[in-house]
Amino acid sequence: MKLRLTTRGALEAAAYGTFILVILLLPTVADVFWLNRFAKYLVYGMLGIAVALSWGYAGVLNLGQGLFFGLGAYMVAMTLKLQSETSMQQGADTPIPDFMAWNSQPGALKDLCCIAPGSWLWIPFQSQAFGIAMVLLVPTAVAFLIGWSIFRLRISGVFISIITLALVLLVRLLIVDWQPVTNGFNGLTDLGWLTFGGFEFDPYVVPTYYLVAFGTVAVLLLTRLLVATRAGLVLQATRDDANRARYLGYDVARYQVFFFTVSGLIAGIAGAFYVIASEFASPTFLDLTFSVSMVVWAAVGGRNSLLGACIGAILINTIQATVSESEMLAEAWKAIIGLIFVLVVLFLPRGIAGLARDIAMRLAALLGRGTPAAQPLQKSE
Amino acid sequence: MAQNALVIDGIGVDFSGFKAVDGFSTVIEEGEVRVLLGANGAGKTTLMDLISGKTKSTEGSVHLFGREITNLEEHQIAQAGVGRKFQIPSVFRDLTVRENLIVACARQPSVLGNLRLRRNAAERRRFDEVVELTALGDVLDRVAGVLSHGQTQWLELGMLIGQGARVMLLDEPTAGMTVGETMKTAALINRLRGDYTMLVVEHDMAFVREIASKITVMHLGKHLAEGRVEQIEQNPAVREAYLGSGGIH
Ligand SMILES: Nc1ncnc2c1ncn2[C@@H]1O[C@H](COP(=O)(O)OP(=O)(O)OP(=O)(O)O)[C@@H](O)[C@H]1O
Ligand SMILES: [Mg+2]
Repeated sequence: MKLRLTTRGALEAAAYGTFILVILLLPTVADVFWLNRFAKYLVYGMLGIAVALSWGYAGVLNLGQGLFFGLGAYMVAMTLKLQSETSMQQGADTPIPDFMAWNSQPGALKDLCCIAPGSWLWIPFQSQAFGIAMVLLVPTAVAFLIGWSIFRLRISGVFISIITLALVLLVRLLIVDWQPVTNGFNGLTDLGWLTFGGFEFDPYVVPTYYLVAFGTVAVLLLTRLLVATRAGLVLQATRDDANRARYLGYDVARYQVFFFTVSGLIAGIAGAFYVIASEFASPTFLDLTFSVSMVVWAAVGGRNSLLGACIGAILINTIQATVSESEMLAEAWKAIIGLIFVLVVLFLPRGIAGLARDIAMRLAALLGRGTPAAQPLQKSE
Repeated sequence: MAQNALVIDGIGVDFSGFKAVDGFSTVIEEGEVRVLLGANGAGKTTLMDLISGKTKSTEGSVHLFGREITNLEEHQIAQAGVGRKFQIPSVFRDLTVRENLIVACARQPSVLGNLRLRRNAAERRRFDEVVELTALGDVLDRVAGVLSHGQTQWLELGMLIGQGARVMLLDEPTAGMTVGETMKTAALINRLRGDYTMLVVEHDMAFVREIASKITVMHLGKHLAEGRVEQIEQNPAVREAYLGSGGIH
């Protein structure tokens, strides 16, 4: 196969390079408070990537992406809660989350094993490694099971959106209702810090920003690589015409399940990073508005572009944070973002990424007049 | 003697009382180009649905090179070696022609087996062969959605070649084509003759005479007649069945 370095490919590489450079160089100009804020936007960027993978590449509009984000968040929050000094100083011999101690029946044994029904689930989270393993495992397993049920039954289109939407609300309800174990509505607050080899990831230090930034870059590049593989191409084929793919011999459901699961895993990882940067986990992560917001970010950024969706999420949230400083603008913002969404859906179906690509291609063609616009750089394998 | 490629034995489907295909049997030899004739609604497309797994049969069986494929899943039947071209051409419209063919030529159906960036030698050879046969070399980097009708049909045919289908089911491959395009398609099918076994649904008799080794006529879901082109054109039962729809022309 010839490796073609087309204008288009070169522009894409340049866009990725610039983006990565900007986020890695940000600490040279921003203070730690700003960096902490930006780390959260990078997490939203990861969510944009997860949505683009599932919506843009697989044609599956998941309106419950917050479910996986929430699961990842809670998994890491549970382990960090048990690291927290204040949580443990509730007069118990072993670490117990403070809310469990406050809520416990008088005379109940102050131990994770039996302070509340189901509290034993917390026991293995005393190990931070276990918590991190669960961040990867739980969203993946749940996404796999949901994907398997949906795609085996050949459910498609709007029905997937309805089912995923119902599921995220259902799990939200379960978390809120299971107050003794999850602290219900209040979520998990007052968390400890992630610790690696003695280093504590205080949310307000530069290394924590880099942790999130490298995580984002890794997710972005690995996902980009994934969609460039043959499997990624087959996935896009199933999006265009699932039957055609079936009659070529592909078990379409397997491709859909695989990428749905990867998308869920990315959202789960994003949830964990969010907790590290914000020091809390809350059932609001599973609010419908949050999952819908992710879709808006991806649509505005460009759902067919992983980078576009990522930048869309970062951009919208940065602007939102700036305007919400003033109360009047904050109210107007909701209307503005709604309007932008409608305009993009109507006039810019490929989002900012599509627009940028068109403009850049045109510029490249103008500058390179005389030489062919798409110069195949023939390089044999 | 040639091997039997496709043995259809008493296949049928009952759509809650209505038998669109009813106890249909035929044997297609390897390398044969069989044309399936029949008036509108005779059940030709449904027969292809039954062979390719789109519709599950309620009676009968299908064997492909001696292996039973009755009522397997679509992708299993495809992997066994049956390729299908639809009456309404279907290609991956948002992918380029190149990508369409790469997807078709992949020799590995599993997800994990496809987590790779490069094609192997066999896949590349197959790709080049398809590009040569279908003459799509000039439009490889176009998005399939903008191809002309004829090119779309050839791309779909090319995908069947690429997937390594030993038996091809072609549902009206020249529908909507100009005379020139139809002749080009006939030439392509004649080039594939011998290497591939084909079952072709077609109404255009000029095209049928060009390609058919043998014709099978279907009427109201049943097998009506079978034979060489001249035999079928003379057959009184066929003439009778076609009277309502203007006869064979
Ligand atoms: N899923 C189904 N349920 C009920 N009836 C069906 C179904 N599929 C096809 N039929 C009926 O079966 C009959 C045969 O249809 P089929 O499409 O196989 O005909 P055909 O020979 O391909 O016709 P044409 O030449 O118009 O393409 C038609 O009367 C059709 O309405
Ligand atoms: Mg038909």
